[in-house]
Amino acid sequence: MKRLSFAALALGLLASTAAHADVTVYSAGPGALIKNLAAGFTEKTGIKANVFQATTGKVMARLEAEASNPVADVVVSASWGTATDFAAKDLLLAYESPNAETVPDFLKMEGAVAQGVAGLIIAWNTESGTPKPADWSDLAKPEYKDLVTLPDPAASGGTYTLVEAFIANDMTDVLQGLKDNGAIVAGANKAALNPVLQGAKAAVFAGVDYITMGAAAKGETIEAIFPESGTVVAPRPIMILKSSQNQDDAKKFIDYVLSEEGQQAVAKVNLMPSRTDIKVDRPLIGDLKLLSNEGAPARDDVLAGFKAIFN
Amino acid sequence: MARGAVATGAEGSATLKWIAIIGLLLVVAIPCLFIVVQAIFPEFGSGSFAAPFSVFFKTLIDPDLFGLAGNTLLLGVGTMVCAAILAVPLAALRALFRVPGALIWDALLLIPFMIPPYIAALGWIMTLQPRGYLEQLTGIHLAPLLFSVTGIMLIMGLNTFSVVYFVLSRTFETIGARYSDVGRVFGAGQWRSFWRITLPLSMPGLAASLLLVFAMSIEEYGTPAALGRRIGFEVLVTGIENRISEWPIDLPGSATLSLVLVSMALVAFMLQRWLLTRRDYRIVGGKPQAFDKKELGVWTLPVSLLFAFVAFLATGLPILAILATALSRTISGGLKPSNLGLDHFSELLGAGSEGLVALGNSLVLGTTTALLAGLLGAITAYSVVKGRGRFRIVLDALSITPNSLPGVVVAVGIILAWNQPWLPITPYNTPFILLLAYICILLPQPVRYATASLHQLGDNLEASARVCGSGPLKAFVRIVFPLILPSMVTAMILVFAVASRELVASLLVAPVGFQTIAVFIWQQFDQGSAGLGMAMAFCAVLITTLIPLALISLLRWASKGTVAGLR
Repeated sequence: MKRLSFAALALGLLASTAAHADVTVYSAGPGALIKNLAAGFTEKTGIKANVFQATTGKVMARLEAEASNPVADVVVSASWGTATDFAAKDLLLAYESPNAETVPDFLKMEGAVAQGVAGLIIAWNTESGTPKPADWSDLAKPEYKDLVTLPDPAASGGTYTLVEAFIANDMTDVLQGLKDNGAIVAGANKAALNPVLQGAKAAVFAGVDYITMGAAAKGETIEAIFPESGTVVAPRPIMILKSSQNQDDAKKFIDYVLSEEGQQAVAKVNLMPSRTDIKVDRPLIGDLKLLSNEGAPARDDVLAGFKAIFN
Repeated sequence: MARGAVATGAEGSATLKWIAIIGLLLVVAIPCLFIVVQAIFPEFGSGSFAAPFSVFFKTLIDPDLFGLAGNTLLLGVGTMVCAAILAVPLAALRALFRVPGALIWDALLLIPFMIPPYIAALGWIMTLQPRGYLEQLTGIHLAPLLFSVTGIMLIMGLNTFSVVYFVLSRTFETIGARYSDVGRVFGAGQWRSFWRITLPLSMPGLAASLLLVFAMSIEEYGTPAALGRRIGFEVLVTGIENRISEWPIDLPGSATLSLVLVSMALVAFMLQRWLLTRRDYRIVGGKPQAFDKKELGVWTLPVSLLFAFVAFLATGLPILAILATALSRTISGGLKPSNLGLDHFSELLGAGSEGLVALGNSLVLGTTTALLAGLLGAITAYSVVKGRGRFRIVLDALSITPNSLPGVVVAVGIILAWNQPWLPITPYNTPFILLLAYICILLPQPVRYATASLHQLGDNLEASARVCGSGPLKAFVRIVFPLILPSMVTAMILVFAVASRELVASLLVAPVGFQTIAVFIWQQFDQGSAGLGMAMAFCAVLITTLIPLALISLLRWASKGTVAGLR
C-alpha cells in the first residue's frame, strides 16, 4: 500500500511536469471533432494538445471543482451561455484571432468565439409511417399522437434556447399542443433520439441537426427537417481561460480551429462553420430563418414555464 | 486501550488497525471531508470560505427534497424486496441440494455484475419499447411495464440480486445441513428446520447483502436515469447527478443532497448492525464439516427450469439485446438479416483502435483496485470485528459511507481534495486518481463480505494460534485470512467487475486523454455510434466474466478443493 502510493506520487510528479508545455483542452462533444482538431493542430504547429472530452455539464463541473487550481487552457462548450457566464466572472482571456474576421458579430464576444454552430430541427424517422412534418406545430397533430420525444431543456442547451425563443415569441401553445398530444420529455439529446431511431417514436421535437445528419450518413432512416416558421442555433463557444499558464499556445489553438483547415474539420461532423467564407454542402446560418430570443425571461423562469406545461 | 481485559477473544493486531485507519483516512475520509466542506461553503471550489451555509439550508428546505427522498426510499426498499424474492429461494436450493449444472448457473448469475447498469437499462429499453426487439420477434411490447416504478424496481432487482444469491448460498453452505440436521433429529420437519435454524443463522449474510442491495440501489444512477426521467420519477441520485451534469452547475447543492443520501444509508447500516449484535452467529468452530447435499428427486426439472428462467431474465436477455445492437449496422434497420453483420466488432478490434487501449487500461485498473480494495477491506473488517474500542464504529461507518455516495460526488470530492494548489505532488491527472476513486467507491463490498464472514468465525481458532506462539499479525495471515478467503475472492471479483466498467466517476476524474472501457462506450453513444458502444460493452462483459472464472478454476485446481466455498 505504502510503496504503491509513493510510486503514485512519483508518477504524478512526472506526469504533471511533462504536461506543462502542452495545451490542455476541455471540450464538449462530438469526440471525433476535437480529436481531429487536436491531431491537426499538433501536425501543424508541433505543439501537443491534450484533450478531456465529456458533456458540457461535466466539463463545467470539472472546471468548477478545479477552480482553485485550474488545469485547462482552452475550453470548448456546446452552450453560449457558459461563455457569457465565464465572462461575467472574469475568467476569460480577451483574444481576437486574426482568423475570426469573417465570423459574424453575433458569434463572437470578448473572450469567446464560436468554434461552430448547431441548428435545432425536427428529427423524423422516414420509415415511421407518419407524414413528413414541415413545421413545429405539425407534431401536435393527431398523426403524431404519442409519437414525439423532446430533450429536456434542463439537460440540452439547444432545446433550452428553442423553448426560450418560443416563450419570447408567444409560441408556447405549440408546446402545450405537444404535451396534449402525448409527447414525452426524455433526458438529453441522445435519450430523445434513440426511441425515434428504433421506431418506438416517430420524431424528435428540437433535435440537433449535426447529430441527426450524422446518423443519416451512417444509414439510419432519419431526416433533419428545418421547420418553416424558423428555428434557433446553438453556437459553440471556444475560449481561453485567464488562468492558463500557456496562453500563447492556447491562442495558436484558437487560430487553428478558426483556420480554413479547422473549419473544414468542424464541417466534417455536420456542424455549421462559424466563418461565413467556408462553403459547405448543408444549410448554413445565412440560409436559416432564425427566431429571436429578445424579451425572453431569465433561465429559471423559462425552465419553470416549461415544467408548468409538461408536469 | 485495555488489552486483554476480556480474555475470550483475540484483540487484533495494532499494525493492522493502523493500516486500516490510515487507509480509510486517505481513501474515504479525505474526499468525504471535502464534500462536507463544499456543502457548507458554496465558493470553496475557487478557494473561498465566503457565505457559509447559504446554499445548504436553501437546498434542505426545498420542497422537492421530500419527493426525492421519498422516491429514493421507495426504490431502495422495492429493489431490496425484488432482490430477496429472487435470491433467497435460489440460494437455499443451490446450497442445500444437488442442483444439476450448479456451477454453470453460478457463472451465469455472476454476469449481471459485469453488465454496466446503464447498458443493461438501454438493452431493456431497446428490447421492450414499441418496435423493440421483442416486438420485432413476437409482436408484443411491454412499454407500460418497463416505463413504470415497478419496472425500475424489477430491473434493478435483477441487476443486484446476485449479490444476495452469492453471499447467501455461501452462508447456507457454511451452515450446511449440519445444524438443521440436528433440528431434524429433534423432530422438526424440513421446512421448519430451514425457517427456524438455517435462515436465522444466515441472518448476517442476508442482512449484509440486502443492505448492500439497498445501498447499491439508492446510489445507482443509470437505471433510474434511463427509465425514470421519462415518467417523471426522480430520486436523490438523479437530482444530485443533474445538479453536477447540467449547466449551471450546483456543486454545493449536490454535495448537500449527497449528505442526505449518506445519512439514509447510515441509518440502514445502524439497523443492520443492531440486527447483528443481538445474537451470536458464530458457526465456524474449527471442527471439520461434511458437505452432504441432498438430492432433489422429482423436483430436479422444476428447479432447473427456475434457475434457467431467472438466469435468462438477469443475464440472457440483456446480453442478447447488447449483442443485437452490436450486430445491427443501423438501429432503424431492425433485426433483418441484411442489417446484421460484424462491422462494429471489426471496427472495435481493428489495428490501432482506441477501444483496445481503453480495454487494457480498464483491466489493469480493475485488477489493481480488486487487490488493494480486497486487502484494505479484509484488514478493516478484521479491525472492526475482532478489535476493541470505540474507533471501530467510526471505522465501520466510514467503510460503508462510499456505498451511498454517488460516484459523481466521490469524483468531485476527489478533485477538490487532490487538486489543491498547495499540494507539492499529487496523483491528480494521472491514472492513480482513478485507482483512488475506484477503491473509495468499491471498498464497502470487500468490507461487507469480510465482516459477514468474520462474524461467523469463532475466536478460538485465532486464540489457539496465539497460544501456540504466533503473533497477532501472523495469526491473521495464517489463520483468519485463509478462512475468509472464499468470501474475499467473491468480493474481489465483484470489485474487479465494477471497477473495470465504472462510468460516472471515471467520466469526471479521468486524466486528460485517458480512456477506460466505460468512457469509451459513453463516447460512442455520445457521438451516435450505439452499435460500436454496444460491441465494446459485449467484449467487456465477456472479458470481465472470463477472467474471474478462469481465476476461480485455477484456485480450485491449486487448492484441490481444500478451500471451502470454491467448489
